[in-house]
Amino acid sequence: MRAIEADMVSCHACHATVRIGEDPGKGEPHCPRCGEALAFRDYTSMQTVWALVIASIVFYIPANLLPMMHVHTFAGTQSDTILSGVLYFMETGSYLIAAVIFIASIVVPITKILILIYLLVSVQKGTIDNPKKKQKLYLFTELIGKWSMVDVYVVAIMIALVHFGGLTQIEAASGATFFLLVVVTTMIAAMKFDVRLIWDNAQKERDG
Amino acid sequence: MGTHTHIVVCHECDEIVNVVDPYKEGRYKCPRCGHLLFRQKHGMIEKMFALGLAAAILFGLTNYFPFLSFEVIGNRAEANFLTSVQYLIEEQEWLLAVAVLMTTLVVPSIRIALVLALFGPLYFGKVPGYAPGVLKLLDQTLPWAMVDVFLVGVFVSMVKLVKMGTVIAGISLWAFLVMVFVMAAMQTTYNAHMVWDIVETARRRER
Ligand SMILES: [Zn+2]
Ligand SMILES: [Zn+2]
Repeated sequence: MRAIEADMVSCHACHATVRIGEDPGKGEPHCPRCGEALAFRDYTSMQTVWALVIASIVFYIPANLLPMMHVHTFAGTQSDTILSGVLYFMETGSYLIAAVIFIASIVVPITKILILIYLLVSVQKGTIDNPKKKQKLYLFTELIGKWSMVDVYVVAIMIALVHFGGLTQIEAASGATFFLLVVVTTMIAAMKFDVRLIWDNAQKERDG
Repeated sequence: MGTHTHIVVCHECDEIVNVVDPYKEGRYKCPRCGHLLFRQKHGMIEKMFALGLAAAILFGLTNYFPFLSFEVIGNRAEANFLTSVQYLIEEQEWLLAVAVLMTTLVVPSIRIALVLALFGPLYFGKVPGYAPGVLKLLDQTLPWAMVDVFLVGVFVSMVKLVKMGTVIAGISLWAFLVMVFVMAAMQTTYNAHMVWDIVETARRRER
C-alpha cells in the first residue's frame, strides 16, 4: 500500500511516517519529530521545475557559443569554447580527457534537460506506463547533475596557475558563468521534481 | 535491542515499507521500486566520528600547503586552494568565485564541522539538543559539496597544462585526493534514519 492511500505522509526532512488525519493541530500539519511542514504533494513544484528547465535551456545557448576562457600567449590570444576545448584534446591525442569533457559538458546537460522535459510532460499527460523506468531516469539526472561542474573548475584552476603578467595569462570568460547557471538551474530543477507524481498516475490507473 | 517494527515510507514511490529489524546490518530496499531506503552498518557512530576527524585533518593540510605549481620558460606559479578564487574575484567573475568557493571550500568544511558536532557527542553517549538542525543541514548541503568533481577538474587541468609547461603536484593535492575518498566513505556509512531514532528515543526519555 502507498502512503497517500493510507492518509500517511513521510516527512521529507526526517523520514518520520505521520498519519495526517491524526494530527490534532489546526491548519497546516507539522512533523511531530522535527517540526517541518507536511504535505502529501506539492503540485506547484511542477511550475517551478518547468521554469528552471526553460531557464537552463536559455543559459545553455550562450554557454556553448561564448568562450569559457581567453588564453593570452606570446603567439597571440586564443578563446576557448566548450567544443573547441574538446577538439583541442582530440587533436593533441588526449582522447580520455576529450571524452570526459565531452560527456560532462555536452552530453550530461542535454540529457538532464531532455529527461526532465520527458518526465514533466508524462506527469502532466497522466501517462501510467513504466513508473519504475521513469524513476530510474529521474535518479540518473540527480546522480549526474553536479558532474557538469568539471569545466567550470578547469577554468578556475587554469586561471590560478597561468598568470604570468601580460606574457602568458588565462582569463575566465562569460561562457563559464552561463555554463555555471546551466548546472545550477538543472540541479535545482531535479531536486524540486517530485517522482511520487509518476507513481500517483500509475496508481490512479490501477484503482480504476 | 529487541525486535522493532518500523514503518518507513519510500521517498521515491511512496510505498509503505515494514522494516522488521532496522538495526540489523544491511541494505534496506523498497519492495516496489527497488530504491535504497537506508543502509545500516555496525559502529556507524564510531566510524562517522573517526571519518569526520580524518576529513578535518586532511582538509587542514589541503589548505595549508600548495596545491599545484606550474613552470613555463623560467616563470613559476604556485597555487593553493584559494588562489583560483582570488583571481576570479580580481577578474570580477563574482558568480564563478562564489560558486567555486562554496562548492569546494565552504560547504565541504561546514559538512565536516556538522559531522564532528553531531557524532562527537553521540560517540560519548550524549544526544545534543541541536541534533535535528544538524541532521537537516547535512541533508540540504549534500548536493552542493563537490570535492569529487573538483578533483576530476584538477586532473583535466593538469593534462591541459602539461602541454604548456611543467606541472608539479603539491602535498596538498595528495591530501585532497585522500579526503575525497574519506568523504565518500562518510556518505556510505551515514544512516540518517538511525540518528533520528536515537534523537527521538532520547527525547522520550527526557519527558
Ligand atoms: Zn520530520
Ligand atoms: Zn519505493
